[in-house]
Amino acid sequence: MTRWNNGRDEVEPVSPDITDETNALPARYFTDPDVHEMEKENVFGRYWVYAGHANCIPEPGDHFTRSIGDREIIIVRTQDGDIEAFYNVCAHRGSAMVEETPMTDPGNASRIQCPYHLWTYDLEGELASTPKSFEDARLNPDLEDEDVSPVDPEENSLMSVHTDRIGPFVFVNFDEEPMSLAEQAGTMKTELESLPLEEYHLSRRIVSEVACNWKVFAGNYSECDHCQTNHQDWVKDLELLDSELEVNDYHWILHYKHREDVEDEMRIHDEHEAKFYYFWPNFTVNMYGTADGYGTYIIDPIDEGRFQLVADYYFRDPDLTEEEETFIRTSRQLQEEDIELVERQQRGLNSGAIAQARLGPNEHTVHRLHRLAQEAYEA
Amino acid sequence: MTHHQQSAFTVACQECSVDMEPDSANEVVDFYRRHRRQTGHDVVLTRADLEFEPPTADDLVTVIADLENRYENGVPIGIVAATMSERGFSVGETLDEIYEVRMTGALYEPRDDHLAAF
Ligand code: FES
Ligand SMILES: [Fe+2]
Repeated sequence: MTRWNNGRDEVEPVSPDITDETNALPARYFTDPDVHEMEKENVFGRYWVYAGHANCIPEPGDHFTRSIGDREIIIVRTQDGDIEAFYNVCAHRGSAMVEETPMTDPGNASRIQCPYHLWTYDLEGELASTPKSFEDARLNPDLEDEDVSPVDPEENSLMSVHTDRIGPFVFVNFDEEPMSLAEQAGTMKTELESLPLEEYHLSRRIVSEVACNWKVFAGNYSECDHCQTNHQDWVKDLELLDSELEVNDYHWILHYKHREDVEDEMRIHDEHEAKFYYFWPNFTVNMYGTADGYGTYIIDPIDEGRFQLVADYYFRDPDLTEEEETFIRTSRQLQEEDIELVERQQRGLNSGAIAQARLGPNEHTVHRLHRLAQEAYEA
Repeated sequence: MTHHQQSAFTVACQECSVDMEPDSANEVVDFYRRHRRQTGHDVVLTRADLEFEPPTADDLVTVIADLENRYENGVPIGIVAATMSERGFSVGETLDEIYEVRMTGALYEPRDDHLAAF
């Protein structure tokens, strides 16, 4: 049942099973600054988080940066073609090294060099060279040059971050001993890897700031009970009643059946449907039923009341055709419609009236999201 | 965005065709920094309702020295960006210019993201 903050209602944990009880995550988890701070560790510090697309850094030395919570990292293509991630922090005295480099405009460097005292690392993160001033003790009267101990390259390498991939999607994990990406992704990994995702290239990135908690948007993405009334242009090409919402351990899939007249060659996958994957905590893969391309969303929290929606679009040719431009515009329209909804929901939550919402029977995907959040908080 | 009152500023990225209405001038700069980190794009102020006639001087140091009379403890960097936007500068261009001048020592930050001239 719904619980109001009228001084009487107590909140309860998210119901274990949506078939009998339907408690949502208590409302304060969407508005409290302390929750935002806690999530940096318990959510974004522990699960596999999407970092970017391998195709954007094809050559050794290509790199981009990412900030996840308070952590700044560099994602780099190494000499032998792997992709690795390092904290953007120098092993000498802890300076940040590489300037912010977005995935849409990656940098290239044969070495990672700290601008402070010029310690230089190879693409595998190992210390490759230090300036002369670290080899002798010119300025130090208490130390003879020959007593200076050499800097061990291995012991002074950059701090690496676990990375793994689903096809070209690069994920990172800050936990010391994380569960494997394969375990977190389950069948989503095999499904996505059966598609030729790497044949497609980033052609457009649209970044918006939205005035709601990231989980409010995640919840909106995960259900379609609001579609009929709020996405009227979009649903007229769908068989909404034939659609299906499928729940898995750490991901859920929204299958939207199209009306029959969609051309068969217009999509990357075979099914006659659009398939939208939500992957806990904050990544989505959007397989459109009406375009030969796919998209991703990163739902990046800024604080408890705001997030950045990073929408990336991938097509065979990075230069967009007019049709593809139109397609992206339509997708943007959908985003605008949803942004209005989620910002309105956040306003309601911020008012402090509601203590705990209740979920409907077709919001089992939202229920999964709330369960995972609660599990993460309690761990 | 669904604000009841119109905010004094609107900042937009033309490439993404997105905009937002920040609550304060310095939020403009925070938006720019976050947006640039993800995309490399510059952004522009599409509305800046300053409560005063912006100074007419051309060089940044004089502009900031002029604005300093209105603020205690430094001019918010977003107000500088708003003033410079009247002159056709994007937020990124203004911040680059501020950086250049700061490195000459002619400007300093009495507190974070607030500027004062020597
Ligand atoms: S802190 Fe990086 S070289 Fe000194
Ligand atoms: Fe929606």
